[in-house]
Amino acid sequence: MKVGNRTIWVALFGALLLPVCAFTPNSTENLKTDLVVTAATAYEPMAALRGGERFPQGAQLLRVHDGKTEPLVAGFAATADANVSFDAKTVLFAGKKAIGDPWQIWELTLTSGMLRQVAQGSTDAIRPFYLPAERMVYAQRGPHGFSLVTARLNDSAKVLEAGMAAVFPLTYTHANALPDDVLADGRILFEAGFPLGTDGSPELFLVYADGSGVESYRCDHGVPRWGGHQVASGDVVFTHGASLARFTSPLAHEERIAAPRAEYAGAVTETEDGAWLMSARSTKSERFALKQWKPGASTLEPVLSVDGMNIVEPMLLAPRTRPHHHPSGLHPWDYANLLALDARLSRDGALKGVPATVRMETQDADGRTHVAGTAPVEQDGSFFVKVPGDTPVRFAVLDASGTVLRLERGWFWARGGEQRICVGCHTGPERAAENRVPAVLLHTTTPVDLTGKAPADLSQHAAQGGQSK
Amino acid sequence: MTERAQIRLRLGVVAGLAAAAAVCFAIALANGRAARAAVQGVTGEVLTYSSPVEMLFSPDGARLYVLCQGTDEVRVLDASTYAEIKKIRVGHIPRGFSFSPDGARMFVANTWDDTISVIGTKALEVSATWPVGAEPSNVVEDRAGKFLFVANRISNDVAVLDAQTGEELKRLAAGRGASYITPSPDGARLYVTHVYPNPGAHRTPPESEITVIDAARAVVIDRIPLHGIAHGFHVAFSADGRLGVLAELHPKNLVPLAHLEHSGAFADTLMLFGADVGTKPVEVPLDELERYVARPFGVAIAPDKSRVYVSSEGSEIVTVIDVARLLRFVHAHPEPSAQDLSASANYVVARINVGHDPRGVLMARDGRHVFVANRLDDSISVIDAQSNRVASTVPLEGAKQISVLRHGEQTFYTARYSFQGQIACANCHIDSTFDGLTWDLEPDGFGRDIVDNRPIEDLVGTEPYKWNGGNPNLPTECGPRTEKYFWRSENYDDLTLTDLVTYVRHIPSRPNRWRQPGGELTPAQDRGKAVFERAVDKFGNAIPEANRCSFCHSGPKGTSQKSFDVGTRKATDNSGLLDTPQLTNIALSSPYLHDGSAATLEEIWTVFNPEDKHGRTNDLTKDELNDLIEYLRTR
Repeated sequence: MKVGNRTIWVALFGALLLPVCAFTPNSTENLKTDLVVTAATAYEPMAALRGGERFPQGAQLLRVHDGKTEPLVAGFAATADANVSFDAKTVLFAGKKAIGDPWQIWELTLTSGMLRQVAQGSTDAIRPFYLPAERMVYAQRGPHGFSLVTARLNDSAKVLEAGMAAVFPLTYTHANALPDDVLADGRILFEAGFPLGTDGSPELFLVYADGSGVESYRCDHGVPRWGGHQVASGDVVFTHGASLARFTSPLAHEERIAAPRAEYAGAVTETEDGAWLMSARSTKSERFALKQWKPGASTLEPVLSVDGMNIVEPMLLAPRTRPHHHPSGLHPWDYANLLALDARLSRDGALKGVPATVRMETQDADGRTHVAGTAPVEQDGSFFVKVPGDTPVRFAVLDASGTVLRLERGWFWARGGEQRICVGCHTGPERAAENRVPAVLLHTTTPVDLTGKAPADLSQHAAQGGQSK
Repeated sequence: MTERAQIRLRLGVVAGLAAAAAVCFAIALANGRAARAAVQGVTGEVLTYSSPVEMLFSPDGARLYVLCQGTDEVRVLDASTYAEIKKIRVGHIPRGFSFSPDGARMFVANTWDDTISVIGTKALEVSATWPVGAEPSNVVEDRAGKFLFVANRISNDVAVLDAQTGEELKRLAAGRGASYITPSPDGARLYVTHVYPNPGAHRTPPESEITVIDAARAVVIDRIPLHGIAHGFHVAFSADGRLGVLAELHPKNLVPLAHLEHSGAFADTLMLFGADVGTKPVEVPLDELERYVARPFGVAIAPDKSRVYVSSEGSEIVTVIDVARLLRFVHAHPEPSAQDLSASANYVVARINVGHDPRGVLMARDGRHVFVANRLDDSISVIDAQSNRVASTVPLEGAKQISVLRHGEQTFYTARYSFQGQIACANCHIDSTFDGLTWDLEPDGFGRDIVDNRPIEDLVGTEPYKWNGGNPNLPTECGPRTEKYFWRSENYDDLTLTDLVTYVRHIPSRPNRWRQPGGELTPAQDRGKAVFERAVDKFGNAIPEANRCSFCHSGPKGTSQKSFDVGTRKATDNSGLLDTPQLTNIALSSPYLHDGSAATLEEIWTVFNPEDKHGRTNDLTKDELNDLIEYLRTR
């Protein structure tokens, strides 16, 4: 947060603090389960994706139990973003001990009330989620906005055995990214601007828990999407603001949800009986209140509202199925190998020319674009390149005269040590690979080096993924 | 059995094993006591499972016949109450059965006995046992009652027998691993599928076929090509004969296996053929973007042709397809759609959870129920075709406790541990054998260290594993390595891994069809053995010990368990040092060499051994090499 805004924010927060602590709920009669919500006078759901503050007038986590609400923790100037552990014994949250502090990540043990800070830094850390293998993911503010970071939650022998660094980033672009959920298959669902690496309209993306395999969840881009959450069926439910929609396994495009007309804040939570708890409001002038909706019903049932407060980010205080752990297969390299099977393929239609080369561009730390080099494209559309790891990259497909046939609009990255295959250029997740040996691998198994570094030791290079026939 | 009870049982059994098993079960489980413990229940009794694989209704619909592979039986049930009427003992490990057209006889293919059991359906007794080809897997009689057609998995052919005497009349060449025969509804034609890909050029897409036989003349009249398909299983026809549906596996073995998302390892597909489809077969996917239908196996089509039902062994589900929507999709999308993971949304209407390793699918004649044989659950799921729900689950008589071996086998066959449930061990080890394919695994580099998939029978005493000998034991092979580079998802817990390893270590070797009953060698085999063991070449020169066949391929399994450079390194190999493969049933597992570049055993020496580094063989004549092959076949 900029220092210039801090004074105003502190004043607003001071005015707000008392009423937050002393509120009484308007209704809880439809609520049959314990949960945690974030209560905030002001809530700007999209602010963090622009690097701003979602709760400009502060926020407080409330525990809802037996129709009564109470602050989840004491001793904090602000709390938000609760994520309940898989066994429902602990809660991760973002908190500020003092008004002027940056948001930090804390863990509360529910039975004992014990608190511990599990991530420390000089900048805001928000939106924590538990990961399997005793790790977590959250968003950490950096020079280019929020990025996803993963950290160990403890240093037990088992966790240390996994061999992953204590803390490391998962996203490597110069734009904001915020975690939304951890999917059952172990991937992290996050929201960021589309095209990725820009401040475009919000879109949902996926990344493995080691930062590899980043991709768009679906490629029917267009309407802004955020607040994604996976429900028990496996569907990912999200909001467009004025409507709800979902991604389902069979479809390559979103499916609208016939929910009552309202503005939805996202982050749907599903109860044991299949009802959805979500924050909604009728008009923009109202505050978000917690509603319950049974899919197919014509109305939203009020669950919890507090005068003058937005009630958002509901999270059940109940055990839940632990997602699968992703076993990282990254090699100990600072570069990555990318194999494109057919650069001619794309959802965007046929190329108006024959691809001859690909040009790779990178972004430096200041966000400036550099051309890293070019690599030949084989007749079957395949190419094989070695790229710098953990660096924003994008590709352009060129014809023999150097004319750009197709240019990636966004940026992506490959983790150092990642070996990745792309079916085409923006083919969409519905497109599977054909079973054939890519022509480039029949020509050579050495990727074209676009890292900007000549291999210092050719024999070592061979052992790390490439050697000419 | 509840999950808790299963865990207790496993704990009990594991605790009953040698204490060292927990630390190094690779050693502890090698002895016979451990083998017995692996099939024992908590009170020490030996657990036997029925393992149903196929079902048939009697022609009058009154009886349900269940082929039980685990107990070598045909179980006869009352079709209404499912009460057991009789158990009929047949040969060892039966795989397929059928009725004679008049329903008076039933034929059972016994894979490990190489026989056909003939059962009189009136007396419900075996009336004859006829010898037939190697690993008979399915059997069908023609409408006239003249011929009996038997698909032989190992001899890759269809034996034609006299249907009355069992005398073999001739063999018809079929695809490699011929296993399933389906007659057309009018009985005029037989459609034969095979579970291993036909031999083809190295690193080219697998090719398979449906062999079409004129049943009256007993001749092959067509071979429907299946491009890109490695493993074909059951075929079903619509009652009007206009639509044929084959359950099949379409591997991605030529693409580096870097990840599983987006169908990275396999496409689970159906091949449609017949007048409803057009002149060429059309492949359609069953998978979705985030959910897979691992290893489609059994198929049934509703009598009114409204639905197709497909069992999936790995996913443990039955997929329900709307035929009208399927055909509309096929005609609206003439371009290949097998790579489109969103295609199935156009025709799949339900996915129904059933038991472990569902195999045969049987449609009731009235079309109201679908029956699914859950091989590794000893049960039959009865699906209500109207609601697409499991109406009931019929338990078959057998052990209810789950032994270590049984749990290990369930783990081997389920795809639930892989990313998004895409693959299982059994994807590449068809029926616990191999797949006849070479793969490009990611860790060694894209396009590098192409590896032939080795069989996994009789593995004890053949460590280390992998062609580079990099994995010292099965717990490593099946544990961390599999998790990271195959499943790409969270692996089993330690107990489950123990059970899986126990199962893998106990996969028996199939009977060797080239060995004489008494173990003596034929003259050709004897000459080949001499070549294998010789110390002097034909010119009288001593062959250095390390260059004799018997040096590297020593011991009872034909492996010294050491690595050697035998001059077979290719430009794409990171090293020429290769683990010596065991020779158990080596005749069955082409292609050969570490990268599968040798299509036959002979090519190992005639094409890939120019400097005699892979044994001294260049002085041998064609006949002598044939002798050597004859001997190797006995291993």
